[in-house]
Amino acid sequence: MNQAQVTKLVSKLRIKVAPEPRRLRNPKGPEGRLNKLRKTVTGLIKFERIELNFNRADEARQYAERLISEAIAHGDCHKPTMEIADYWLLEKELIHKLFKVLVPRYENCNTAFTKMYRAPRPLYSRNIEKAVLELRGNPYPSLINKQYSNRQLIQNVLLDAAKYDYRQAKYAEMADKIGKTENQQLNNLTKKDEITPENKEEQIPLST
Amino acid sequence: MALVIRKPTFDILSAAKWMIRKDCRALSSLVEKTEETEKRPVGRRARFQNPALEYRHIFPEFLPDPNPKWRNSLREKMERADMLKRRSQIDIPEFYVGSVLAVTISDPHAQGKTNRFVGICIERKGCGLRAEFTLRNVVDHQGVEIRYDLYDPTIQSIQVLRLEKRLDDKLFYLRDALPEYSTFPFDMDPEILPEGTPVPVNTVQVKLKPRPWLERWERQELKGVANIEEHLKEKDRIRRELRKTPWEKYDLMKEYRKTIPVEDQTEIWGEVHNQLNQLRLSRKKMFKKRPISTPKPQLG
Repeated sequence: MNQAQVTKLVSKLRIKVAPEPRRLRNPKGPEGRLNKLRKTVTGLIKFERIELNFNRADEARQYAERLISEAIAHGDCHKPTMEIADYWLLEKELIHKLFKVLVPRYENCNTAFTKMYRAPRPLYSRNIEKAVLELRGNPYPSLINKQYSNRQLIQNVLLDAAKYDYRQAKYAEMADKIGKTENQQLNNLTKKDEITPENKEEQIPLST
Repeated sequence: MALVIRKPTFDILSAAKWMIRKDCRALSSLVEKTEETEKRPVGRRARFQNPALEYRHIFPEFLPDPNPKWRNSLREKMERADMLKRRSQIDIPEFYVGSVLAVTISDPHAQGKTNRFVGICIERKGCGLRAEFTLRNVVDHQGVEIRYDLYDPTIQSIQVLRLEKRLDDKLFYLRDALPEYSTFPFDMDPEILPEGTPVPVNTVQVKLKPRPWLERWERQELKGVANIEEHLKEKDRIRRELRKTPWEKYDLMKEYRKTIPVEDQTEIWGEVHNQLNQLRLSRKKMFKKRPISTPKPQLG
């Protein structure tokens, strides 16, 4: 039985948002929770790809998406947005990055601004889910290997070399075979040449 | 030789230019920025500039509950259709928390089978067909509050006697304020605002009665209360400081979970905006016609 708050307009997030926030347990309560997330969001904006625990990554992702969407919606001349950016980015040079690098990058983006992958866990350790959180369009090589058709990929280079070797072996075999058959034919021919005079003698009377 | 000399001079010149430009920007940063903002909004902020979005202040109950567990697009759509049907039957005017309303409902036990109540709206709550509002008045030195459902079929008319807003979203503190702030005569005449004026904000600050109070008003950061500090002890001030949550305004997801995003809102307003506009226009026509028919003099 709540009315939606209408004083502020927000743009819709392109990621799935859970109905309730996760409790990241902290002795300082909700303030400590936000402080934790501030560190993560700052790290994400700074390094563009980070690996961390899944729960914290998922929460921080929502806040990072909101921060970028606010920056896109209101620009750098809007005082409340600037205050929000000032709160969320602990290193102040990142505010410039947010408005001058990330906003132009995502202005015409139709998808979410971040990507999250489940990361592998070390074997025989505490069973904590890990995740890799990254900004879209970051300068690092892609985590997901979609380049199976790339000739330069090491697997493809090795496979090509193996195929080449196999083919060479086949050609060599074929060449051997052909050589053998030719030898045999030659041998046969030479044998026939030896037999022919007798045959001729036999055949001539038949034809006539 | 000439080339060698020319190059460094050019470099110096360009460096100087750069310096000058930088200085200028530091001085006239505001001007440049405003120019940029004028150019920008074309593509980016078009979503936020939809005129139909302004309806969110006038008809907040058309927006669904933001809790995703209670969302159901089909039910919401049917409710909106029902609300429009009800609105075509009776005039539900624009009003805000702080406006003074007169509501007439049919009451089988009352004389004349109708009951009229006048009071100040202290709360608007709920969405869809379950939207409700609470009126407060002081009758015979006794505070009276009545909660009405906005789309209740027993409501015969809702009339706005004074259209205005207050400084706060909820006026529950009127319960602990001096009675003169929530006393309104039942024979109040409606005040008519000239067309096209924005809704006025009444900046009156009420005076609270001494404690005990119904709630801890000092912790709620109320703008419409004048004398809250008089009634506080040192202990209350300390606890108020401890209870403050200054980080909450930066909690972007909390904010997000309490609102309906622009994209969803434009969809909803696109659906109901035409019919609401037509209803408003027809009401305006009715209103213009009304004063022409003067009351007939009763012959003895």
